Amino acid sequence: MVNIFSPMFFDFIVTAVLWFYFIGGFFLFFLLFYLLAYTLSRNRELSFQYLNHLFYKSFLRLTKLLVPKHSWQIDQDITKIRSSVIVCNHVSYLDPLIIISLLAHHKTIVKTRFFHMPVFGWLMKNAGYLPSSTDKKFTFLMIKQVERMKEYLLKGGNLIIFPEGTRNNTGNTGEFNKGAFKIARLCQAPIKVLRICNSDKLFTPGKFLFNTRVRNKITVELIGSIEPDYLHAPPTVAELRNLVQKAFATG
Amino acid sequence: MQREDIKRQILTILEDSFEFENPGLNDNLRDEHGFDSIDAIELLGEIEKILGFSLTRAEKEKAMTIRTINDILDYIEVIASEHSR
Repeated sequence: MVNIFSPMFFDFIVTAVLWFYFIGGFFLFFLLFYLLAYTLSRNRELSFQYLNHLFYKSFLRLTKLLVPKHSWQIDQDITKIRSSVIVCNHVSYLDPLIIISLLAHHKTIVKTRFFHMPVFGWLMKNAGYLPSSTDKKFTFLMIKQVERMKEYLLKGGNLIIFPEGTRNNTGNTGEFNKGAFKIARLCQAPIKVLRICNSDKLFTPGKFLFNTRVRNKITVELIGSIEPDYLHAPPTVAELRNLVQKAFATG
Repeated sequence: MQREDIKRQILTILEDSFEFENPGLNDNLRDEHGFDSIDAIELLGEIEKILGFSLTRAEKEKAMTIRTINDILDYIEVIASEHSR
């Protein structure tokens, strides 16, 4: 029998409400706008990015309302970032949602298997997100997106990358894949370094339920801004990676 | 375009732009030089400059299966000959 006085029961209710909003809220409040953007928008990618931004923003507003023991401190300078490759550590599935909720115009790299999912894959493809590998079906999508990335960044868009490739809540940043730095160099884009902390206390890797019961402070900080002189002293990929690692070590 | 000319240009690009050190013609590019799909896409841009024309979607997709420098040279030769017909 379910003990409604159990603290876990409250976690269960909050998790159920949030999942209901994530799926039901999308169909009830957002799907119509996505369909309108798909059929009518002159720039479908930007429209989908903006809708994703609004959807995650509304999801996180609801999350904040339901889990008042978790406080949030987000550096508002992040919302002003433009034309940059943004690299961030990754501790929870919430991290991409948090960063996207801060940036209306963004692309990101997503594990290729997510592109195979119904609806979700369609949203990501139309938002111009990049698959993380050249799976046969998505090879040209990746080529097209990388080729267009420089122009997209020049026009003010951002590329969000979690260079560790997967969630890592060991307390230290893991090994960085080179992809983010290769794209930054290819596009001659500045790199902004973000540090996200404690989102894993709210939604812990490997657990299904949101943890509503601990007092916690989730922070997102802009800890570094790297603006190489690509024209006169182009850095190597290894140098860019070292600069980002240094920002995490000292920021 | 002679294979030797292409080889010289490709090796220069790999050493200057992709930071390769002493690449061998049959080295596995991914395993031995960390050459990934983003590098391959960047290299396609350089190959288009060498060839002097834009590659088609199918030609670009085919490039993603390249594993060695010899594969790159074969790839360029085949495409150059197809376009010259």
